[in-house]
Amino acid sequence: MSTAATAMRHVRGFDVARPLSIGVLVLMMLPLVFLPLASIFIFGTSNGLDKFWSALMQPEAIFALKLSMATSFWATVFNVIFGLFAAYVLSRYNFWGRNALIVTISLPTAIPTAVAGFALLLLWGPYGTLGRLLTPHGFQIMFTAGAIILANIFVTFPLAFGVIKPVFDTMSRSLEEASATIGATRWQTFWHVTLPSLRGAIVSGALLTFARAVGEFGSTILVSGNLAGRTQTAPLYIFAKFNEGQIEAANAIAIVLALFSFLIFSVLFFARDWLDVD
Amino acid sequence: MKESLEKAIFPAFAAKWKQQHGQVVVFQSSFAGSETVTNQILRGAPADIAILSIERDVQRLQKDGFVTADWHSLPARGIVNKTPFVIIVRQGNPKGIRDFSDLAKPGIRLIHPDPISSGGAQWSILAIYGSELKKSENESGEGERDNQRALQTLRAIWKNVISTPGSAREARTTFELGNGDALITYELEGLLMKEAKAPIEIVTPQSTIFSEHPAVVIDKNVTAAKRPVIDAFMQYLWSDEAQQAFVQFHFYSATNDAFNTAFGHIEMPFAIDYFGGWDKAYPNVIEGVFRDQVQRK
Repeated sequence: MSTAATAMRHVRGFDVARPLSIGVLVLMMLPLVFLPLASIFIFGTSNGLDKFWSALMQPEAIFALKLSMATSFWATVFNVIFGLFAAYVLSRYNFWGRNALIVTISLPTAIPTAVAGFALLLLWGPYGTLGRLLTPHGFQIMFTAGAIILANIFVTFPLAFGVIKPVFDTMSRSLEEASATIGATRWQTFWHVTLPSLRGAIVSGALLTFARAVGEFGSTILVSGNLAGRTQTAPLYIFAKFNEGQIEAANAIAIVLALFSFLIFSVLFFARDWLDVD
Repeated sequence: MKESLEKAIFPAFAAKWKQQHGQVVVFQSSFAGSETVTNQILRGAPADIAILSIERDVQRLQKDGFVTADWHSLPARGIVNKTPFVIIVRQGNPKGIRDFSDLAKPGIRLIHPDPISSGGAQWSILAIYGSELKKSENESGEGERDNQRALQTLRAIWKNVISTPGSAREARTTFELGNGDALITYELEGLLMKEAKAPIEIVTPQSTIFSEHPAVVIDKNVTAAKRPVIDAFMQYLWSDEAQQAFVQFHFYSATNDAFNTAFGHIEMPFAIDYFGGWDKAYPNVIEGVFRDQVQRK
């Protein structure tokens, strides 16, 4: 048996396994990924491009896209800085409870996003642990753009950290040690030696975080208030339009989000060499 | 609805029937949103009777031949009980809210379910809009409805909405977590909140809408053998005994106002027929006014 299999793999000339396996791969992806995506595009543009364009140009749709971009941007800024800091601390120092911290940072990946949403409501709401202290001073973050940023930070918490930490772990210490030997301060070493070698990890961590935050739905719908033109992000807008039976309007924004993530992941893929990520 | 039926009306009717006919009646009941229940019946759920919260659902059942009898010929035009829309505020009413128009004042934070997905929210929009029409009719003396005034009030109130949960129940949860100064919902829901010792007060508006709940026989599913007991149960729903049971569970009786003593006083009540039925209210007010002129402004 095994000899037969080995023999087949070494057949010269036309290798039937190659087109066959590629074909099977594409065929498997067809109903699972390609067709669902394609149906968004087909349906969204089936009534003509002008319909698509006017659906996209609705003031509430534009607002929703802008709000998604802005809230995702700030969540990304925070999580990249935090991820960098956390990765630095957790790969440089060994201390009691270190593993527990690493596990906790990773938790939001597995927690349902709706749970993230009501956890934030419980914490920041007027009866919540933090909310109780802040509400009397007129500070209410729930049902504002701030709440959306908090939700985005929570659900994308581990992403940048997860990309940056392995690079830290495998980074050769000799360069940093050399830098220290020639009299550089810790901060100079970090800024001129450590950070540049993390460039790739930071960019890809940021793109991943941003892409995930833009698509966030489950936690946002609970904490944002979901008001069109005020606190409704792009995914919430899509859901609202679907509920209203305005599938074309929902689809137009879905297409924009799909193209957007395609762009982000293309950058991630093709800029790999420049980004220096393996 | 579930409690009033399971704790009072089902057992009482079963006992009665056993005494009169010696047969044991077993109720199999399922509770969900009116629209969900209707969809289930339309897809073949073997229900004999449905109690719904929106008349439009009865019309859907009629359209597909599930309800063939003239259901308005039942007592009280087929309405088995009703509950008005009221305002729920925090204990002590710190913001001094006395009527819908107070919700339009700057600085009020209102929780309001999403009128696109929630039936309760649609009732609430009609309650606000209709109450302003009623008041304008009353004040003008000539019975003229001031649509502009109603629109302005609705707009100002909508500015104060901070969250639009998907359903009336979700809105209640959001409010109970401490968010917002006020919530518009069924009085029934408010009384249940009070029963659960929630620190709230119920504000009865000067004018508001009644949500009326029709009970219908799903004629298509009822076999000849079951017909007598089904008809007897339907009659029982409008008996004084059943109507008083509904009142105990915070519904208004649809047949006898003398039973409805435990509720706040509504000066100018109205129902969906004020707008000419759901057929007209939905396109004219929910779509034409709320969606096109309030939400999309």
